[in-house]
Amino acid sequence: MWTYVARKLLYNIPVYLGIILFLMLALRVNDPAYAFLGKNAKPEDLLAIRAQLGLDQPFFMQYLEVLSFDFSIESWANKGLKVSDMLRASIVPSLSITLPALFLTSIISVSIAIISAYFRGRGVDRSLMVLAVVGMSVSFLVYIIFGQYWGAYLLTREGGIDAFAIGGFEPGLTHWRYYCLLPVLISVIVSMGYDTRFYRSVMVEESSRDYITTAVAKGAGKRKVMFVHMLKNAMIPIITRIMTTLPFLIMGSLLLEVYFNIPGMGRVLYKAIQEQDFPVIQSFVVIFAAFFILSNILTDVLYALVDPRVRLS
Amino acid sequence: MSEEIGPLQKFLRGRGMRKLRRDRMALAALSVIGLYLLIALSVMAGVLDNADVFDRVGPDNVAGFWGTQDGERRLDHHQLRIERVERAAKTTDPTKSLAEFRLGGLRASAGTPEEVLGRVEEAWRALDAVAAYDELDVSPEVGPLFEELDAKVAALYEEPAGFAGFVQSLRMSLGTDRQGRSILFRALYSTKVAVQIGVVASLISVLLGTLLGAAAGYFGGWVDHAVVWLYSTFSSIPWIVLLMVLAAMFRGGALDGTLIPVYAAFCMSFWISPCRVVRGEVMKLKELEYVQAASAIGFGRVRILLKHVVPNTAHLMFINFSLLFIGAIKAEVILSFLGLGVKNEPSWGVMINQAKAEVLNGFFWQIGTATALMVVLVLAFNILSDALQDAFDPKHV
Repeated sequence: MWTYVARKLLYNIPVYLGIILFLMLALRVNDPAYAFLGKNAKPEDLLAIRAQLGLDQPFFMQYLEVLSFDFSIESWANKGLKVSDMLRASIVPSLSITLPALFLTSIISVSIAIISAYFRGRGVDRSLMVLAVVGMSVSFLVYIIFGQYWGAYLLTREGGIDAFAIGGFEPGLTHWRYYCLLPVLISVIVSMGYDTRFYRSVMVEESSRDYITTAVAKGAGKRKVMFVHMLKNAMIPIITRIMTTLPFLIMGSLLLEVYFNIPGMGRVLYKAIQEQDFPVIQSFVVIFAAFFILSNILTDVLYALVDPRVRLS
Repeated sequence: MSEEIGPLQKFLRGRGMRKLRRDRMALAALSVIGLYLLIALSVMAGVLDNADVFDRVGPDNVAGFWGTQDGERRLDHHQLRIERVERAAKTTDPTKSLAEFRLGGLRASAGTPEEVLGRVEEAWRALDAVAAYDELDVSPEVGPLFEELDAKVAALYEEPAGFAGFVQSLRMSLGTDRQGRSILFRALYSTKVAVQIGVVASLISVLLGTLLGAAAGYFGGWVDHAVVWLYSTFSSIPWIVLLMVLAAMFRGGALDGTLIPVYAAFCMSFWISPCRVVRGEVMKLKELEYVQAASAIGFGRVRILLKHVVPNTAHLMFINFSLLFIGAIKAEVILSFLGLGVKNEPSWGVMINQAKAEVLNGFFWQIGTATALMVVLVLAFNILSDALQDAFDPKHV
């Protein structure tokens, strides 16, 4: 097992180095200092701001500098604010949306998938699947715009129920429902179509296996076969799926964060790009990629734990 | 009698294709896609010009279906229509500017500038008569006055006849956006942009992915390692981060304003999934007897790969094309939101993003039209992808 983990870690090092290389090059296509200060920048300002980040050094030195993971550099747009502080402040808002969203989506989707697989080929199943495909065909942005309009705006103005905030964020569990529940619900609705379809096909595939035939032949009831035999085995792909969506979570909420004014990581990156705040962009991108790789490794390792055959290949 | 058939014919006559042809849903989806393609091609052929898409045709945010408008908005509309003609008639060269005058597809009615100004004067008087009332929708006296105003304003314009009249009635049929432009025509024009982006991005991605994947799977060794490293790297960059980095990269550059940043953003991440699938398939195919037979005859490796192995992954290319097309259309909306999207042209993403502000005023025509057109196309592609997968790749989960 440990050799497998070590192999995975070693394998991902060149991948990570490649990512950083590519991202750093892409971010330097347009001179960041020039982009931040604009056309009328004074030459000495340009030089100063470049020297501050070491942008005047050879590229290789900058590469090493970035790989040293020193995030105590100062943001250009928000004077006096360190990137590491911005990161620390934005993690909690991000997670308070994505984690509940992931949890709810998985539970609801698996339940619907079970219902759908149980009634396979019948009206219930068909209408659920049609609903899923139609739901998948609507743009994320449309869900957000209408969700915000109905849930936060119309409900408060016309219904007189101030259940959800139109935007903003306050830490703490007591404020969570007011600020975060609506974005979480929107996120659940968006991803439900994809997940339900996937889980259903997993269960349908599972139901054609020999052990199910055996169970049925031995006289087990349909319900028992579904919930005891099948669901247990279907858990492997389900868990893998949940794990693989984990890294997408930070970024997945970017649109929601921007729309609902939640000061999460996605919104910080979004604003940094608007303001051409190079130190923030570069650091966040580097961190995102690291997080992404780590959760990929974690997924692989967990998968290997569940399914020992993986380790051998 | 031996008939030489190419790989494409073989594919089209194969079992999967027969299965697809029996699938009624898939055929319906295909005809919907065909319809969109037709719209896109006619837009490309110049059925809609810039004036149809960019010029004001009426006041802001007119509701669709020649909507139930309240008196205030009707008055606004008339005021705009009178003002436009008046402005044209009062330039230094009124004859010329009146001849060139267009509001949407409407021309000013014929006559010397003096005649036109006379009519404008009458229209203003009729308008003032209506505007004198405070409660336009309540007062019963307003009705006949409004009818007179309608007639006076209509006299300013030449009534388009025949096909032009039909087009004119379509122009306002789904209302106008925040800048008074025709929502229907903008949405139809966007079909072209969507199809263009979808076809170009998916085609490049599928071809690139297939070539790299096939090479990796067939040659193995360092080629395989390099390709796997490349796609591991690119798939480890979160997609939205990649988009944002590209947004920062292209901002203010020479290519800003063209569709190339959009294509670049999509192709960077879209080539990965066809590459993965094709690599796996080719690794399986190269062990088959027919490939060994081909190499026993003495064919070169590149020839075997391109002529005998790659054509047998055609079904994967089609499935991936269809899936990526959906991805491209949906991602365009997000791209527009991030500010890297389509510029200088309307697109569904541009329309939805513009409609954000209108929704708060309870105006849904723009977001509704763009979303409806988009949903139908994406739905058709979703159904087609499912049918393709069922027909060619039944084991797929």
